[in-house]
Amino acid sequence: MALTVTLLNSVYLRGRRCRHKILHPLLGPLFSDSVSKLYSSYRRPGSQPETKPSWQSIDFSFKKGIDVLKTQLSMLKKETKDYLVGPGGKPFNHYLLEQTRVLWEFRSQEDLNKWVISSDVEIGGKSEVYLKLGRNNQAALLYGNLNTEVPRDGETKYSGYCSMRAKLPVGSFARKKYYDWSNFNSLYLRVRGDGRPWMVNIYTDPYFSHQKDDLYNYFMFTRGGPYWEEIKIPFSKFFLSSRGRVQDDQHPIWLDKVSTLGFTIGDKVDGPFQLEIDFIGLLNDRAHTEEFAYEMYEKNPPA
Amino acid sequence: MNPHAKLISALSLIAGTSITISSNHWMMAWTGLEINTLAIIPLISKSHHPRAIEASIKYFLVQAAASSLILFSSMVNAWFTGQWDITQLTHPTSCLLLTMAIAMKLGLVPFHFWFPEVLQGSSLITALLLSTMMKFPPITILLLTSHSLSPTLLTSMAIASAALGGWMGLNQTQIRKILAFSSISHLGWMAIIIIYDPKLTLVTFYLYSMMTTTIFLTLNATKITKMTTMMTSWTKTPMLNATLMLTLLSLAGLPPLTGFLPKWLIIHELTKQEMTAAATIITMLSLLGLFFYLRLAYYATITLPPNSTNHMKQWHINKPTGISIAILTSMSALLLPLSPMILTTI
Repeated sequence: MALTVTLLNSVYLRGRRCRHKILHPLLGPLFSDSVSKLYSSYRRPGSQPETKPSWQSIDFSFKKGIDVLKTQLSMLKKETKDYLVGPGGKPFNHYLLEQTRVLWEFRSQEDLNKWVISSDVEIGGKSEVYLKLGRNNQAALLYGNLNTEVPRDGETKYSGYCSMRAKLPVGSFARKKYYDWSNFNSLYLRVRGDGRPWMVNIYTDPYFSHQKDDLYNYFMFTRGGPYWEEIKIPFSKFFLSSRGRVQDDQHPIWLDKVSTLGFTIGDKVDGPFQLEIDFIGLLNDRAHTEEFAYEMYEKNPPA
Repeated sequence: MNPHAKLISALSLIAGTSITISSNHWMMAWTGLEINTLAIIPLISKSHHPRAIEASIKYFLVQAAASSLILFSSMVNAWFTGQWDITQLTHPTSCLLLTMAIAMKLGLVPFHFWFPEVLQGSSLITALLLSTMMKFPPITILLLTSHSLSPTLLTSMAIASAALGGWMGLNQTQIRKILAFSSISHLGWMAIIIIYDPKLTLVTFYLYSMMTTTIFLTLNATKITKMTTMMTSWTKTPMLNATLMLTLLSLAGLPPLTGFLPKWLIIHELTKQEMTAAATIITMLSLLGLFFYLRLAYYATITLPPNSTNHMKQWHINKPTGISIAILTSMSALLLPLSPMILTTI
């Protein structure tokens, strides 16, 4: 590994001196100063300029490789054992009979590490967002300051959003995994907000990249009182949007391959926001019989 | 769907299948297969749901690759032997390529990965067409060329299909995926006997198509797509639920139901051909399939789900059940005593 690094470094340094050789088109990315040139020369205002080529920031360590391999193999072993037990690692009758399930609970820092927070800083905005454990480690507190000031890059028209998304479920050897929520028909959230409206987003990671921007959204209106709220959002209410634009051709969400859940605030009001979340769960509400809340695009659907 | 588009798709499917099964030139066989592929794409992507679109893209890519492999194998054979006749496929490279291509078309292991996803993304009737009608032309081609294909390769693919179909079907909760794995497993049974007795492959295919049609039509009538819905269907259509159980057990191959006939005859034939080990292995592997069919049948009929009372009685179901389900169910469960007649007429 050390040999590879020195080789790459020497090629890089030699390349900086002689730029006009025939090999330059092939080894161009190694000689360039910024990696962003591989993709495009325009850099968003919020992102940092990359001065090191990406291969220089890799830590070539044999021992670390062995450790990672051991972790992945143990994950694979656990997955095989879970497969032998039943779907989702639980026996089959548990799967069939369950009516509620707690997905994410916030009791420790590890639970917080399963979530990623982001805001419009990535496009050059000025909102701030932070995530920490609430009092007595009983909830997660997502707080910050929303700022709708538009970044001055000549093309952005709106700004001001903050969000929290669960990390994508990953199996052994970095394979994509999905959640199977097909047994349930509502989302059950125990939250305490500050009266601001939030948007709940569900991402069903598609196989092909044509639909990678597809997101199913619905709103969560918080009360703001000192009391905790238990909000039930049926999955039949979620509508489809792509890159933020609500689509004409709506369809109900298929819950057998869900990837992540996220919360976004973007209500165009400057100021601080706070949201405490105790847990996020699923519910099979037998009283809810609606299949889909919106009109489908098809004009004469078959009966 | 627009009735004209539906008509064109249906007629194209019939045309494509007829062209392939009646052809003796490779070009015509390929033409029929391509027409079939193109005709079913609008049926799969009819609902415009992202998963349906994904299923249609996957189906198209796999089938187009397989069709081009078929064409390539026929051209290699024509180059070396000058023969374009389907039954005269003699060059070893062509035989190998054709086996791979037909395995891709049918969904035999190790080319089965597309099948559960495609079936899951399509509606129940389209899934029925994919499992039965779309398998018919490739099986016909396999039948016509079976005398020159490698027995070892076919046997190993067949055993692997039975194994994987049984193993992967175990933890599924979506019914269409379970039926996809059952299809893969049955294709294994069809492929293992094709070298020794092609007639048995046809018998297996016809009986499998009949039983699968019954199951899909029953599921369509009760709008069942996942296990939990199946658990609650006994309150709405108790008779259909009972017949669904019988058909599932028939598909599993339990005597005295119809599904036992192909398995019995295949084991008999394999033993006569001194392939006792293969017969034993494939029988043991179909026990895995039997487990999930039994579990389906058990959860469909014998368990009592945690329903609230307002779900218990439903005064009507949306889809009227036609006479076809009744006829097909009777045939799927009661044809075993007629086995001598079946064998002599097919």
